[in-house]
Amino acid sequence: MRWSRLALVLPLTLGSALPAAELLPPERPVPEVIDHYIDAKLRSANNTPAAQADDYTLIRRLTLDLVGRIPTPAETRAFVESKDPKRREQLVDRLMASPAFVRHQAAQFEAMLAGPNTRGNSGGLREYLVRALGENRTWDQIFRELLLPDENDAKKKGAVEFLRSRVTDTDRVTNDVSVAFFGVNVSCAQCHDHPLVTDWKQDHFYGMKSFFARTFDNGGFVAEREYGLVRFKPTKGPERQAKMMFLTGATVEAQGMKEPTKEEEKKDREKFEQLKKEKKPPPPPSFSARAKLVEVALQSKESEFFSRSIVNRLWHRFLGYGLVMPLDQMHSENKPSHPELLAWLARDVAAHKYDLRPTIRGIVLSQAYSRSSKWIAETVPGPTLFAVGRLKALTPMQMATSLKIATSDPKTFEDLKPEELEKKLEGLESSARGFASNFAQPTDDFQIGVGEALLFSNNDKVAREFLAEGNDKLLSRAKALGDTAKAVELIVRSVLSRPPTAEEQATLVEYIDRRGDRPVEAYRQVIWALVSGSEFRFNY
Amino acid sequence: MANFKNFCGSRDHTISRRGFFSAAAAGAAAFADMTRLDLLGSSALAGEMKKQQKRVILLWLAGGASQLETWDPKPGAATGGPFRSIQTAVPGVHITELMPKMAARMNHTLAIRSLNTRNGDHGSGAKLMMRGRKDEANVKFPDLGAVIAKEMGRADSKVPDYVTFYTQTEGRTMAPGDAGFLGSRYGPMELTTNNQPDNIKRLDGITELDHQQRADLRDLLSKQFAQGRASPTLGSQNEAYQRVRGLMASDKLFDVSQEPDRIRDKYGRGQFGEQVLIARRLVEAGVPFVRVARAWWDSHGQNFETHQEMVPELDQVMSALIDDLKDRGLLEHTMIITLAEFGRTPAINPSLGRDHFGNAWSCSLTGPGIKPGAYGKTDATGNKVIEGETDAAKLFATIYSALGINPHKNYYLGSRPIPLVEPGTEAIKEVLA
Repeated sequence: MRWSRLALVLPLTLGSALPAAELLPPERPVPEVIDHYIDAKLRSANNTPAAQADDYTLIRRLTLDLVGRIPTPAETRAFVESKDPKRREQLVDRLMASPAFVRHQAAQFEAMLAGPNTRGNSGGLREYLVRALGENRTWDQIFRELLLPDENDAKKKGAVEFLRSRVTDTDRVTNDVSVAFFGVNVSCAQCHDHPLVTDWKQDHFYGMKSFFARTFDNGGFVAEREYGLVRFKPTKGPERQAKMMFLTGATVEAQGMKEPTKEEEKKDREKFEQLKKEKKPPPPPSFSARAKLVEVALQSKESEFFSRSIVNRLWHRFLGYGLVMPLDQMHSENKPSHPELLAWLARDVAAHKYDLRPTIRGIVLSQAYSRSSKWIAETVPGPTLFAVGRLKALTPMQMATSLKIATSDPKTFEDLKPEELEKKLEGLESSARGFASNFAQPTDDFQIGVGEALLFSNNDKVAREFLAEGNDKLLSRAKALGDTAKAVELIVRSVLSRPPTAEEQATLVEYIDRRGDRPVEAYRQVIWALVSGSEFRFNY
Repeated sequence: MANFKNFCGSRDHTISRRGFFSAAAAGAAAFADMTRLDLLGSSALAGEMKKQQKRVILLWLAGGASQLETWDPKPGAATGGPFRSIQTAVPGVHITELMPKMAARMNHTLAIRSLNTRNGDHGSGAKLMMRGRKDEANVKFPDLGAVIAKEMGRADSKVPDYVTFYTQTEGRTMAPGDAGFLGSRYGPMELTTNNQPDNIKRLDGITELDHQQRADLRDLLSKQFAQGRASPTLGSQNEAYQRVRGLMASDKLFDVSQEPDRIRDKYGRGQFGEQVLIARRLVEAGVPFVRVARAWWDSHGQNFETHQEMVPELDQVMSALIDDLKDRGLLEHTMIITLAEFGRTPAINPSLGRDHFGNAWSCSLTGPGIKPGAYGKTDATGNKVIEGETDAAKLFATIYSALGINPHKNYYLGSRPIPLVEPGTEAIKEVLA
């Protein structure tokens, strides 16, 4: 590669690198910083944001976001009735200390790593993520373990699945790693320099690919060779050899990177064939290109990609919209809505050595997070202002677990010790896993298909699992009350995590009373109308 | 419904698009009535149909049918096999003797004999031929059915947009219908166990009236929630529930016994024939895309016996479909495609089979926008395309163009424009009518 060309490529910036001195001081609390920057932009746009969400909405939102389910009616009541000025912090801390927090975060990261357009689950990877997040491993550590899996280390079991499921397609590994960890989709630069983004040349795609070109599948094990070059034909000029080059343009010189002789290559092949026969994981090479990528990506000048991407993803997860959108287009021509906030949060997560908990806790304690999703005035403000809460469709597991909780007799969650309640909810979550496969993982332009509506309308599993009578079922409890008004209140509180409005109360009582000859049917239909309804389907 | 009732039957009425659609949307039964009223004979309506309502029936020859025993016979060549070829209704065009009925109807059908798709793998070949392109690292493309559902379907449609039958198990998981980045709104209604879709019938535990009224209750509550909360996802959910009743009413569409024996006999009483007859019922009611998969053509051994058995069935079913659509005035709006993941090797292996072959094979297009006959040429042995080479992208560009869809139209994935077909691909101009 000619240096003159590389010089043109450099420097790759994220377009918004701000001098640290201009940012709010690092010791300021995260929620304050968030609201400072979000409010400043709202003021300059002359916009008054939506009011804060009410307590019922807030506990539902926090519980869904942090532990992946709706709250039980008792949890809701306790929160709403609490007079403690610190109750929101206490709730957040209680939820974040729960094992369910780890499981839900693992599920979210699993979906993120799988990518927006893939299906199917990889049990092994989830198992790894639950373990890693449960031990509070940091994001850089998880990144390292996913890219440099050690199949002999029981503590990292399952980490290899990320690479294993992609290893036969080097282009895919290259792009998926760039998207998942750096917020950059380089696939556009595969065939030509990126048409819109001057940052991204073919050199970047092939530079990133060079880190993975030596990685291959060896009889079901992820293996890496000592050698392997990537050559590509640029749109202009002769074919050339790619350099191992990170997205910033930083390159890695491979010591002794010499292509092997025929003889050496043959010996190398035999070595791997032998390992394949013995069904043994191959040892890492003495010089690992993949390890170099991890090293470069986390070094101080380059790590901005890594820290900004994870912060943007967390923000997107909780606010329903990224500071940079789309999430995989973090480049100089696609500016963040709040550059200082993104920079501050990125600096903060790096300062916490990529422990994600302070960022998560800070986001969910901000006022920006807890705004109402209802906008009464005429013109709805653009999403980049974060002036109003966004609807987030429930994930398959949030949906299935919440259905279980919503249609259980609320008494079954009462009078339990905290650890018993935790166990009970975990049991419901596990039993919901099968049903969850009926739902699609939401994406940014998520559309709900008619299959889901038909499922709720006519599937006998829905009828049996959620709408049946039984000792621990909402339906039986409602029937046992023997009072329509009370039953309606119980049903609405259980399913929607709030009391009914006067209008709803009247509508539902009337619906049931008109079916005086078949009250159980009537209650069942009301429960159905609520669990299949829009309010239940979204975290709002 | 009101529009339909008000329609007096005069051919001279100008039928507005809205009026026509609400009439069509009045449901499958209404549409069937309309065809009986000969509404399709109305030139105004036919014009609307031409522009807006093209449909596609894809006959998916799963496992890979042999081009030599169908559209591109090589009698007398070392690779030719035992079957002869016969003259068709298009002078100079010959197809296999196993398809005499199609030979007589070749004036409706175009055989493309010059596919070179360079893929001989069931799984990735099927995906390639369903989508017209290979997935990128981070882009899962919608297949033909999903694109047609999006382009030709209606938001308020009372019928499904995309139906796929694949009841045999061989190869099913390798060629799933898939809406890719278009999302489940355009995903297929998949029939894999019988000819009735899942969850389309009301359960016994609830009366018709209660089923309707609880849906109304759901609607009422959801509308209250939606006030002040605009979201496309929320909209799609309520739209989906609004379509439930119409889809349930379409269960009769899937009931082949609604057809007279005379018609059923034409298609034959086999599963493939029955499903293709259902496909006709569906497109007649406004379903834009139906795939019927027939497995399993993967004749690594006994290629000739396999084709001797399966090609005449295809011949009967496909010709019955053409006749039937023609009789109903639907042929000019409905494209029939025969396609597979690949063709088969001209070389005959020691088990008298033909193996996977993606380098020189055939498919067929019947119906609107297409000039019948044959396009493209392979060499004397069938090993190589020598004229009119066509890859998956070119084939899809041709299909879209024939249906009146601009193949260069963009969808957007985030900010990234994604053209329907791979950039730089043009339709085969010579075959477009």
